[in-house]
This record gives sequence, C-alpha cells and structure tokens, in this order.
Amino acid sequence: MIELLDLKKRYSDGTYALKGITLKLGKRLTSVIGRNGAGKTTMIRMLSTQLEPTSGTATIGGYDILKDTDAIRARTASIPQEASPIGFLTPWEHMRVYLLARGMSFKGADEEGMKALKALELWKSKDAPTDTLSGGMKRKLFVAMALAADADTVFLDEPTTGLDPLSRFEVWSAIKQLDGNVILTTHYMEEAQQLAEEVVLVDQGRVLERGSVGSLLSGFSGKVRVEISGDKSRVRMQYRIGTTKVSYVKKDKAGEFIAMGCTVRPITLDDLFIVHGVSLDGEGEGGEDEY
Amino acid sequence: MGKGRVAKMNIKFIASLTYSYGITAIARGPSYLIAELALPLSLLFMVGILSQGSLVVYAIIGGFIALIASNSLSSAGDAAFWRIQLRMQDLFVTTKITRIDYMMALTLSYFFGSLPGIALYFVIGMAYHIFTLMSLLVLVCLMALVTIATSSIAFIVAGMVKHVRNIWGIASILSIAMTLLPPTFYPYTSLPNYALYVLSISPVTPAAILAQSAFGLIKPLNYALIYEMAALLLLETIVFFALAKHFTVWREK
Repeated sequence: MIELLDLKKRYSDGTYALKGITLKLGKRLTSVIGRNGAGKTTMIRMLSTQLEPTSGTATIGGYDILKDTDAIRARTASIPQEASPIGFLTPWEHMRVYLLARGMSFKGADEEGMKALKALELWKSKDAPTDTLSGGMKRKLFVAMALAADADTVFLDEPTTGLDPLSRFEVWSAIKQLDGNVILTTHYMEEAQQLAEEVVLVDQGRVLERGSVGSLLSGFSGKVRVEISGDKSRVRMQYRIGTTKVSYVKKDKAGEFIAMGCTVRPITLDDLFIVHGVSLDGEGEGGEDEY
Repeated sequence: MGKGRVAKMNIKFIASLTYSYGITAIARGPSYLIAELALPLSLLFMVGILSQGSLVVYAIIGGFIALIASNSLSSAGDAAFWRIQLRMQDLFVTTKITRIDYMMALTLSYFFGSLPGIALYFVIGMAYHIFTLMSLLVLVCLMALVTIATSSIAFIVAGMVKHVRNIWGIASILSIAMTLLPPTFYPYTSLPNYALYVLSISPVTPAAILAQSAFGLIKPLNYALIYEMAALLLLETIVFFALAKHFTVWREK
C-alpha cells in the first residue's frame, strides 16, 4: 500500500509541481496519467526517494519516504523517465551492475539477471553493446532490470515514450510480468487502458479523478465522441481543443453528425481529459454541459 | 531471491562497474586509448626535440601525472552525461549505493582506462633508467592523490552543468589548464615563484614539483617547497573531494 499525505513540491522559482496530493494506492498496477508537466514524474521521483518533497510525506508498505530511505530503496525499484543504457555496455553488464548496486551477491545477480533476461527474451542479445539494440529492446532491458530486482513496488516513469506501436506492445508484455505493485506514469491513454487496474488522472499538481477505467468512463456510457475540425461551426459542440470541436452524443444519434461532416470516435480515457478541460497538446477549453 | 546485505561501501558494485566500464572498455574502444595518449606522447616528442633530449626525463615523469590527470578530468563528461542524458545517476540513486560508491566506480573506471598509457610510460622510463624503488613509490602515491583530486574536480564540474553539451568544452579547457600549464613537461624552476603559486590551484602542480624532486631532477632540493607542496596537495585532495561530494547531488532537494 502506498499512501501520499498532502505531498507537495514547490520549486525555488515558486512554481508548484505538486499542490498537496493525498492518495492511497493499493492495486497491482496503477497508472498515473496526465499531460507533460502535470506532476506525474515529480510524484514518482519523490516516492522513489530521488527527490525530497517540500512538505507532506508518503509511506510505502508503512515505510516513510523521508525517514526510511534505505528500507524504501530496498523494497522498490524505479526506472527513470527517458533512462537510456550506456552505449557500449551490454545488457548483461547493465543487469549485473544494477543488481549489485541493489545489494545482491554476485551469484544472486547472475541468477536473477539470467532469469529476467530470458523471461523478456533478451538473453540472445545479452552480450551485444546496447547501442546496437532497438529502442524497444533498450526499454525492455530496464523492465528486465526491475523484474530481476524482485522489488515489492516498481515505479516506471513513461516507459514507452517515443516507441513505435510494436515496441510498446513488447514493453507492455514485459510490464505484465513484473512482480509486486507497479506504478506507471504515461500520457498514452491506450497504455493505461491496456495495463492498469486503477487510473489516477493528475493535472497541474492535483488529482482530478481516480478509479478503474470502467468507473472513470461510466459517465460516457452509451455515448460516442463526435469531432469536427475547422470553421464548419454550424454544428454546436460542447468542447473545443485548438481548432477541433468535440461533443458527446448518444450512439443512435451518431449518424446525424456523420451526415453533417463530423468524425465519430469511440470513448477512451482521452475523453476524461477533454471534459476536464485538459488537452494532451496543452490547449483545451472545457464546456459546461454534463457529459 | 539471492540478496546479500553488503557493507557500507558497495565493493561489488564498484568492482563490477570498473571492470565493465574501465577494463573491458580498453578492448572495445581502443580509439579512446590512442586519443588519451596522443597529447602527452606528442608533447614528450616535442620536448625531446626542442630541448635536444635534455628535458626528456621531465616529460616522462610529467607524462605520468598529466596522463592520469587529463584522463580523470575527462570523466566529467561521463558523469554529466550519465546524470543529464542517460538518467543513470537517477537509476543508481534508488539503489543501495552511496554517492561515494558511484564516484569511486567512475573514477576507477577511468583510472583503469589509463593503465595502458601508464604502462607505455613505464617502459619508456625503464629505457631511460629513471626509476628507483623510492622514486617509483613516490610517483605511485602522487598519481593516487592526483587521481582523487582531479576526479573530484570532474565531479564538481559535472554536478554544476545544466546542459550536457557544455561539459565537453569545459572538460577540455580544464584538461589543458590543469595538466599542460603546470610544470609537468618542464622544470618547475623555470617558473617565477608567483606563477608557481598561481598554477598550484591545479593539484597537478604540487604533484609535478614533488615528482621532479623525488626523481632528483632539481638540485639542490628545496625542502621548504617540498613540504609546502606536499601539504598543499593533501589539502587540495581533501577539499576537492569534499566539494565533489557536495556537488554530486544524490537526493535532490
């Protein structure tokens, strides 16, 4: 169980990255979603003891992130955002160095490292310099390191950013093999839908909503999203994102909107952002209508 | 799962990273070795030609120190690159190692990367019959202190830079200012006293003065200066190490 208690982070220029988050996370795989700068990475960095909070605290399995740093580090593994392997070292060398840094014995590191690399199908490439690996394999290597770490809680900060769809799928498969609880940040809604039992939506350092994907999308039940771009503004819409206007209508009315030139899309977690007035592109304007 | 609690300093991590990044790198990246050796060997050649051989011994002894110092200073590039670009420092922060383990591993990696160059200088030194057991011991001690002091300077700089692009230029400037300007390739007695003290901001200067004295190249020995420089080198090593610890931020505020 992870418990955040009014966790705040204020930088020296006065900006708040987190504005006091109180939250309990206990599901096996929780996804923290939000656009760039929402506070996701700050939250993960504080929970994994890389960054001190300005005020408030958090506990992981009863251990305080400020007072019990060693215990937290022993029980968690964290893969930083945009972490990249050292070009001419091999996956095997990364694995060994990381596991030894975590305090494993040589024998333990070799055994666990081998198991994890085999489990994620990296064993054949274990002796190749990592700069010869694909982007997906590099990310899988970090997931393999977390897997071998045998941590109770694993933090993965945007593990698939920048990867092609096939590589993302490979990394998702790898993430599903992780033991313990996984806290994963992403701004790919599809990723959260694929992997997470619980989703926490954050924006501007605050939690906007949380729950299972199903419960978060229950307000859209029986509806579809209709979009229209450009100045064809005869169609009245609820939300505007840049030059695109969006509305939510019952499925049986979708045909009318298609006839008016609109695009109809199924509901996804993206729609949570739209109704909260948060665009992943950073521009958004929420409407007032109930969705 | 085979975990073993380790002592305060994580020797296994240090040994493993040093082996992977320092020793195997010699075989994987021979161009690095050639690049590291190019400047001190070129200077040795130039000094030999220009002095008609009279200063070759200075350049051999200074070459040991310059090689180890410039190699240690260039570790600033990796320290910054690992922190800012690769995020490897963040990865290690969340493990059981301390910043000292991390600094020690990177320092030793670079030290081992210098060994082929040191071996080459040793062979040249043997050919010129410059070594005695005592002078060799002094040289080893000086190289150890210079390694710690200059690696510490590298970590200070690496901890201060905000953009990784800046570090390569800074490391090169430092390498020239701290290893070539000091009396590594020429007798320290060629410098006026004030210049000697100005250049002593680089730990290479006291090390070079002590080495030239230990190898009997400067006669008569200036004992007051030797004691002064020995104390200065020790002090600089301690101060730079303490500053490096401060600037290698392990858990950000």
